[in-house]
Amino acid sequence: MNPYRCVFHMGIEKSLEYRVNFLLTMTSSIFPVIIQTIMWTYFYGKTDAAASTGYTYSQIMIYTLLATLVSQLVSTGFAWQMNDDIKRGGLNKYLVRPVHYGGYQLSSFLGEKIPQLLMLLVVSVAVISFSAAVFGLTLSATRILLFIISLLFALALNFFLFYTVALTSFWLTDVDQFFGTISIVLVVISGGVLPLDIFGEKTVLITKILPFGYTTQFPVNIINGRYDMQAVGVGFLCQLFWVAFFGILGEVLWKKGLQRYVAVSG
Amino acid sequence: MAVIEVQHLKKEFSYYKKKPGLAGSLHNLFHRETLTKEAVRDISFSVEKGEIIGLLGPNGAGKTTTLKMLSGILYPTSGQAVVDGFVPWERQNAFKRRFSIVMGQKNQLWWDLPASDSFYLNKCIFNIDDQQYIHTIEELSELLEVRELMSVQVRRLSLGERMKMEILAALIHRPDILFLDEPTIGLDIVSQQKIRGFLRYYNEQQKTTIILTSHYMRDIEELCQRAVIISQGQVVYDDTLSKINQLMGDKKVLTLKFSEDISAQQLAPFGKVRECKCREGILELPKEGIRTTMADILSRLPVEDFTVTEVPLEESIALIFRKEGAVS
Repeated sequence: MNPYRCVFHMGIEKSLEYRVNFLLTMTSSIFPVIIQTIMWTYFYGKTDAAASTGYTYSQIMIYTLLATLVSQLVSTGFAWQMNDDIKRGGLNKYLVRPVHYGGYQLSSFLGEKIPQLLMLLVVSVAVISFSAAVFGLTLSATRILLFIISLLFALALNFFLFYTVALTSFWLTDVDQFFGTISIVLVVISGGVLPLDIFGEKTVLITKILPFGYTTQFPVNIINGRYDMQAVGVGFLCQLFWVAFFGILGEVLWKKGLQRYVAVSG
Repeated sequence: MAVIEVQHLKKEFSYYKKKPGLAGSLHNLFHRETLTKEAVRDISFSVEKGEIIGLLGPNGAGKTTTLKMLSGILYPTSGQAVVDGFVPWERQNAFKRRFSIVMGQKNQLWWDLPASDSFYLNKCIFNIDDQQYIHTIEELSELLEVRELMSVQVRRLSLGERMKMEILAALIHRPDILFLDEPTIGLDIVSQQKIRGFLRYYNEQQKTTIILTSHYMRDIEELCQRAVIISQGQVVYDDTLSKINQLMGDKKVLTLKFSEDISAQQLAPFGKVRECKCREGILELPKEGIRTTMADILSRLPVEDFTVTEVPLEESIALIFRKEGAVS
């Protein structure tokens, strides 16, 4: 068997070992949705929010539900482990075997993600059906297909983005707080909390230039029908560009970082 | 033929100086003084194929750093090393297939899964064919007595069991060279003996070249013919174990049991008294003239039993450390 396929299988096994943790992670994402529902309901009840945000109440609720879902679908959690490997000598076991560290991490990440994705698939069907029934989300087979493709690219982009961030551990002494902050900031600037285009044209432009929106806002805007086919095509190209960019940057940082690796403790 | 050749290997680490306390931390925010530590100063030695050598030295001597350079984990600051025809820090895949490293304080197995999963992963990584893999697993799990534990998650294994699994995982691809960094650390005596027995057998059967570091002298005495002693980043001794005791000035240790209580003053005329309590005494004697001294003791003291042994290896090595420390 190809070693990376083997790592992928082991990632699935590992993920299934911690069922409670997995369920808790899923459940915990309900709370931000509740808070946002209360916030938007209040906001839209008191003011003419639709005029200022460009979203009707139904549209903003659809966005909130879908953005939470997409954030969960593309979320990563390996940066802390990588930091620990770099700081405490855990990299040794990869360096002494004929295996590529990035490929190993990607295979393990995807493997660990699979059970979560399957569970989220059920949740996705429920959320999308609920959005269609209650908030009038209109769906088409093409849009669902494009949404799934954009999610796969978003997952790859988020992996390479966090892989690159995690590699800064070679240069930074204590990155725990840094990772925590980065994770929160990335959720916000990727459109995981609220749609960034409510802040105006400049924000829309910045969102299109920067890579972050392509991890969450872009897939959400495909399924909720805010993007036409041309915007979707350009978005896919941007996703691919950023995947390649962070893939190459990660490889460069890995090689540079190894020169600094001191393999401490033990 | 030397399979490992090390010449003038040196490794420096840079670090920041920090004064104690909050004031020191605040000062470091704005100004950091970089210092350099020589973990390995100048190390040269060679190892023949099939040899087991002990790499000895006090904590911080540079043993682990040397092993890390020889396995390609670290780049050296200067110097050369060739291991099985490869420069380790070039990290060629062909080189990685020739050696293995086991670190007693590091876990190479997947913590949440049974060790057998990690073995299978190594099979895939090293591209081992099914027949050889099954044969290796059966043979080694039998020898290490871990067959029943193969499907237990690594996190549920005892330290001794885990270490046996680590060694097994490291040998899946039958490496020519094995680096062992304190493989018996923290293990009980029975586990230590099992691992020593296994390593001795494995070396005899496979002719695997082994470099071993350990703070347990029994590991070194039972496994190694030769020791390279490192102190403060430099080789201070490189020869057979048996010659180490000559550094103690050819002394022997005489342990005596008496039929009645004896005082230290009564023992003192015969040699250096190491210990004296009631009916037991330990003397340090020069090898030369030991027969005469023994006869003298037997005729003058109520000796019931006695044994003559070499000076414990730990003491000889500690003496080397102290000598080098004093010189440095």
